[in-house]
Amino acid sequence: MSAEPIIQIRGVHKWFGRVHAVRGVDLDVRRGEVVVIIGPSGSGKSTLLRCINHLETPDEGTIVVDGIPLTESKNINKVREEVGMVFQQFNLFPHLSALENICLAQRIVRKRDAKQAEQLAHELLAKVGIPEKADSFPGQLSGGQQQRVAIARALAMQPKIMLFDEPTSALDPEMITEVLDVMLDLAREGMTMVVVSHEMGFVRAAARRIVFMDEGAIVEETTPEELFTNPKHERTKLFLSKILH
Amino acid sequence: MPDVEKPEAIPRPATNGRLTGFDRWWGLFAAVAVIIVVLAVSQPDPYWRIIKFLGDGIKITVTVTLVSYVCILVVGLIAGLGRVAKSGLIRGIASVYVEVIRGIPLLVQLYIIYFASPKLLQDLGNGLLAHGLTLGGLAAGLASFRMNAELGAIAGLTVCYGAYVGEIYRAGIQSIPRGQMEAARSLGMSQMQAMRYVVLPQAIRVILPPLGNEFVSLLKDSSLVSTVAVTDMTRRGREFMGREFIPLEVLTLVALFYLLMTVFSARIVSYIERKTSYVR
Repeated sequence: MSAEPIIQIRGVHKWFGRVHAVRGVDLDVRRGEVVVIIGPSGSGKSTLLRCINHLETPDEGTIVVDGIPLTESKNINKVREEVGMVFQQFNLFPHLSALENICLAQRIVRKRDAKQAEQLAHELLAKVGIPEKADSFPGQLSGGQQQRVAIARALAMQPKIMLFDEPTSALDPEMITEVLDVMLDLAREGMTMVVVSHEMGFVRAAARRIVFMDEGAIVEETTPEELFTNPKHERTKLFLSKILH
Repeated sequence: MPDVEKPEAIPRPATNGRLTGFDRWWGLFAAVAVIIVVLAVSQPDPYWRIIKFLGDGIKITVTVTLVSYVCILVVGLIAGLGRVAKSGLIRGIASVYVEVIRGIPLLVQLYIIYFASPKLLQDLGNGLLAHGLTLGGLAAGLASFRMNAELGAIAGLTVCYGAYVGEIYRAGIQSIPRGQMEAARSLGMSQMQAMRYVVLPQAIRVILPPLGNEFVSLLKDSSLVSTVAVTDMTRRGREFMGREFIPLEVLTLVALFYLLMTVFSARIVSYIERKTSYVR
């Protein structure tokens, strides 16, 4: 793991109208690290995550991803090519098959030819455990399968960083593990990951660092062991008592 | 790891014992066609004579409608994309176009283009010449501008329907969840690429039905071009009535031919709709 952080967030603020969603956040993520952001809803964690690949534009502050500052608009597509994102609602393209979902951006952004793209797509579908679903359309897949295709789609761009925005929140309980297992595999392979999630099983197994956010700011940065045995801040304790029944 | 699957989606079963794959409304099309044939065969005078006379007009009606429709799809797409553009200026221009055009009757727009715009262009050309500006022959060309009736009609229909169709495109684009654009952008696609490969292919399924309705409306509204010197089917019908005063027979045939064409296009639209639907 190199010492130089691959994501540097400095003094980021974001307003939605009069709502101050993110209030002066500093955060470093190093190469190969798995950082999990937790916090009550409305605490700004998803907004912060979306700022990293500029789906939201920070109103103040700087974000540098892999040495590329996100301030100039021409850098944004370059950064997005290196940063994969997985959404709560999967956001698969419903008019394309699973295979085509994974190939589309490879073809038009990475300029790979059809054969290369399809080969990688098949490999990734095997990796996420659904090689037989290549020709299925999103509407024919379960939520868990859709999310796994979405992860494969992001991985096909061979990103250096993966962002997960509550990847299991829209899933039925019995489908959560199949997605978490894929994420755990990624973490073991050394992928840099920033995850917004309340899946404490994943936190225990994979997170190197936990960031607890509340009201748009980072309240506490800690390790999983510390978080469960010895949370420092009152707000952290209160939040944990609510989600760990 | 438990791999929980939903049952495979299966095609919706045929409902109400209807024949699948056969659209009952083709029956109406056949009925109209049969009536026309029966009229023409049983009473060739006057019906067959009228049909022969209307023939050239039908060709013009079809041509004007088809050419206009192609132009409308292009103008409408530009207007629709303009309405959802990020730039406030482009959005403003597109909005003004849509609101102004939708507020003026089509007939008045056709009059403006056919009767008023040649005068405007001629004055402009003369004005330029008076100031010694030739602009490489452009000024002289404008000064002697003559409006071609068919082109004027196509321009008028395009400008008018482009605004309505633009709104259809806009609604279709906005009906696609924002997450689709975000997912495409997060994969590194540009705004244009995301529009072209992700948003528009989905929007087209939403807008096909209203777009098809616009075609049917256009086909009917094309009869208005008969007022600006285009010898379409309506105008040919009027000419025939001017020669022999048998309005019932002439207008019956004119109405039947419009009906034949609109029913036919509505069937084609519904066929395309069914072909392009998919599991969501």
